[in-house]
Amino acid sequence: MDSTELAGRLAEIVGERHVRTAEGDLEAYARDATPLFRHRPDVVVFPGDAAEVAAVLKLATELSVPVVPRGAGSNLAAATVPLAGGIVLVLTRLTEILEISAPELLARVQPGVSTRALAEAAAGRGLLYVPDPGSQVVSTIGGNVATCAGGLRGLKYGVTRNYVLGLEVVLPTGEIIRTGGRLWKDVAGYDLTRLLTGSEGTLGVITEVTVALVPKPAAARTGVAYFADLAAAGRAVAAVIEAGITPATCEFLDRTCVAAVEDYAHLGLDTQAGALLLFGDDGDPEMVQASLTRIGQVCTEHGATGVTLAESVAASEELLAARRCSLPALSRLGSLTILEDATVPRPKLAEMADRIAAIAARHELTIGTFGHAGDGNLHPTCVLDVHDLDAIERSHAAFGEIFAAALELGGTITGEHGVGAAKLPYLERRLGADQLALLRRIKAAFDPAGILNPGKLGS
Amino acid sequence: MAGDKIFDDDLLSRCMSCGFCLPSCPTYQLTGEEASSPRGRITLMRAVQEDRLDVTDPTVLAQSQFCLGCRACEPVCPAGVQYGQLLEQWRDTEWQGRRRPLLARALMAMMSWLGMAGITLLGLVRGAAVTRRGSAAAPHLMLGCVERVLYPRVSRSARRLVPALRAPAVQGCCGALHAHNGESAQGRRMAQRLGKQLPGTIVTTSGGCSAHLTHELGADRVVEFSAWIAAGNGPDPASLRPIMLDERGKPLPRHASGGRPARIGLQDSCHLRNAVGVWRQPRELIAHLGEYVEVPNAAGCCGAAGSYSVLRPGDSRAVLAPKLDALAELDLDYLAVVNPGCYRQLAGALKGSRTKVVHLAELLATAAD
Ligand SMILES: Cc1cc2nc3c(=O)[nH]c(=O)nc-3n(C[C@H](O)[C@H](O)[C@H](O)COP(=O)(O)OP(=O)(O)OC[C@H]3O[C@@H](n4cnc5c(N)ncnc54)[C@H](O)[C@@H]3O)c2cc1C
Ligand code: SF4
Ligand code: SF4
Repeated sequence: MDSTELAGRLAEIVGERHVRTAEGDLEAYARDATPLFRHRPDVVVFPGDAAEVAAVLKLATELSVPVVPRGAGSNLAAATVPLAGGIVLVLTRLTEILEISAPELLARVQPGVSTRALAEAAAGRGLLYVPDPGSQVVSTIGGNVATCAGGLRGLKYGVTRNYVLGLEVVLPTGEIIRTGGRLWKDVAGYDLTRLLTGSEGTLGVITEVTVALVPKPAAARTGVAYFADLAAAGRAVAAVIEAGITPATCEFLDRTCVAAVEDYAHLGLDTQAGALLLFGDDGDPEMVQASLTRIGQVCTEHGATGVTLAESVAASEELLAARRCSLPALSRLGSLTILEDATVPRPKLAEMADRIAAIAARHELTIGTFGHAGDGNLHPTCVLDVHDLDAIERSHAAFGEIFAAALELGGTITGEHGVGAAKLPYLERRLGADQLALLRRIKAAFDPAGILNPGKLGS
Repeated sequence: MAGDKIFDDDLLSRCMSCGFCLPSCPTYQLTGEEASSPRGRITLMRAVQEDRLDVTDPTVLAQSQFCLGCRACEPVCPAGVQYGQLLEQWRDTEWQGRRRPLLARALMAMMSWLGMAGITLLGLVRGAAVTRRGSAAAPHLMLGCVERVLYPRVSRSARRLVPALRAPAVQGCCGALHAHNGESAQGRRMAQRLGKQLPGTIVTTSGGCSAHLTHELGADRVVEFSAWIAAGNGPDPASLRPIMLDERGKPLPRHASGGRPARIGLQDSCHLRNAVGVWRQPRELIAHLGEYVEVPNAAGCCGAAGSYSVLRPGDSRAVLAPKLDALAELDLDYLAVVNPGCYRQLAGALKGSRTKVVHLAELLATAAD
């Protein structure tokens, strides 16, 4: 079936207004936030409800046309690039917050709701939606669940997976199922909610999400500590945890990132320092104050060259907002920024930082590193000239070595951004052949025609 | 077109496609579609630059014109993408050798050099502030083409507040409209000419002119009125009388006692806020004049966007609609504006409502009288 005919069939389902086939529109959906990947779809559709999603998927299965679900397209793993063409299924029309139940501490939302919008709606009821990926202003809940997004509060509170209670999901064959629900305790059957969380749009399309909320902590504050280098900061983080403190937030930036962020946010950060640790805690105001003071002390004992606590909530929020912008701020330094995502056990953080620095030096590359120190999750980011093909080639080699180093230290090839198309070549090294084969059998059980997000996780 | 570089490569490659700009964009808010977002538009520009799309491609054309040019996408971009410049380059090329919409041409012809005599005359008839007096060292007050014809009270108020300001009758148009409509070279020439006509500091009461002139003549020569007053030129804001209203919302005379302070909100001028970075100062001034009420999404475009409301009335109304809902709930006494386009858009939409739309200079003058 050619794409005009396909578009016609899709228009019967969602209405003509919600189908796009013009070249320019296809070009706009040819990429996401991942550099170096680009492929035009044949058609873009914007369904208005789960029934329409079901009809689209059923048709696609019948015709064996690839379908790529898409939220805000802020992922960094080429997870929404339609490598095999076909349909891009955009969920931005589904933006309703269906329910916030304070007594049950939960919210029920459509997948296109932005993370920020959910957080604000919860805050309006005195509640907190915990997961807060750096991309929260733009990313959607559907995308967060599909990638199991991590955030700045990961250390104390966990990631998206820990807050998903239930899902409504459309299977590629068109059935609509509900997994989990409104309960914390429910062990009836395999835990499909967890399986679907982080499935990167390869098993089903999420059309509704029920998430757990927590009471909003009375206070939340942050502070910064400066170090000679990232490895020193990593050692301080390990010491803080060993001292029995679990900060809510524990983020680090190396010198390159501090300079880029300062250039954007003008917060008066010390751009001479080799590394910055941004720590924070929340809860009872006195406890927060005590915890921040203690973290500051431990940092000083472990080599911090300076420590400052944010004076006010507004200042704390500014610091966090600046940290969330590290990646785009880095792109001020060059015409191409390639960000990667690796995680190591926390005690290995310092060693991993050293190895990344050595790898960058050996390949003569500028690699800035920032990340979620508390989770051992690093984002080495290579900044280069888009026309320097040789440097791009070297960066591929460097990242290969960085992933190998992460695995060697007992870590993983992605802590939060997902596998997508970008990491697929490394997946077997992480999981082994047997587990990968099982993954593929699971994929086939959900998606017999193999239409959902081909070329990505599970392919 | 093939091979020719339309966009400045450095500007274009700054965007790393993070999408942080999406939620700030009014047209993306309307459609939820990538192509009508800043990131999507930049993707289209890239495709044009790399010859995957032609500059006359229907989507490319439609999106360049659907864009309000409000530049709300700029201050939120962590990578520092200068979208406004890219948009000018885009529109310049798009309309090269082609006929732009008749209305746009008519508007621009009216504003350009030939039409200036008419504008000057109309301004005189309407009673815009015109004076040869004012101290020789004092800054010049720019009258603006649209403002002097539609809202002559603005310049009169500004001069009443600061009598030293010089306001010669013959002064050209700054060319902002041209720059935004695919004639950036002409827009630049007009700004330079105006710079020569009004030597020294130029004070403007129009956010749009202010941004364009600042870009062309430099921030050391151009200053927007509210920022200028807030910086201590003119009366001390603390000496101004708060605007007091009786139970029916009518202003009380200066020495009357009782009443309640007016509830005053502000609609930012997109260009003033996003390009020049002036937004705190008008708020600080209003806080002296009555009870300041922050309008939700005050920084979001009202849909006026230069000639946009004239050229695309439907889209303009769609952009405005959520703002009107928010304003209805606030039930303000005054909504202050700092740009004639916003003035026209909002005064029209709020006609008959309790909320009166006024330029900040007018409110300041009332409080100083
Ligand atoms: C500057 C920046 C900072 C970031 N910071 C973080 C961070 O701190 N932590 C983190 O984890 N990530 C981060 N990310 C990555 C990204 O924002 C997250 O992965 C986010 O969850 C993606 O959401 P989205 O709505 O943009 O999804 P998309 O990018 O549109 O899609 C991501 C994946 O989810 C699938 N998908 C989307 N919606 C659905 C649905 N309804 N049903 C089924 N599948 C679906 C897609 O097919 C794709 O596989 C960051 C990205 C940027 C650019
Ligand atoms: S915020 Fe800036 S870098 Fe990010 S997509 Fe928008 S324009 Fe590009
Ligand atoms: S200028 Fe305004 S309308 Fe145009 S892309 Fe930027 S935010 Fe959107």
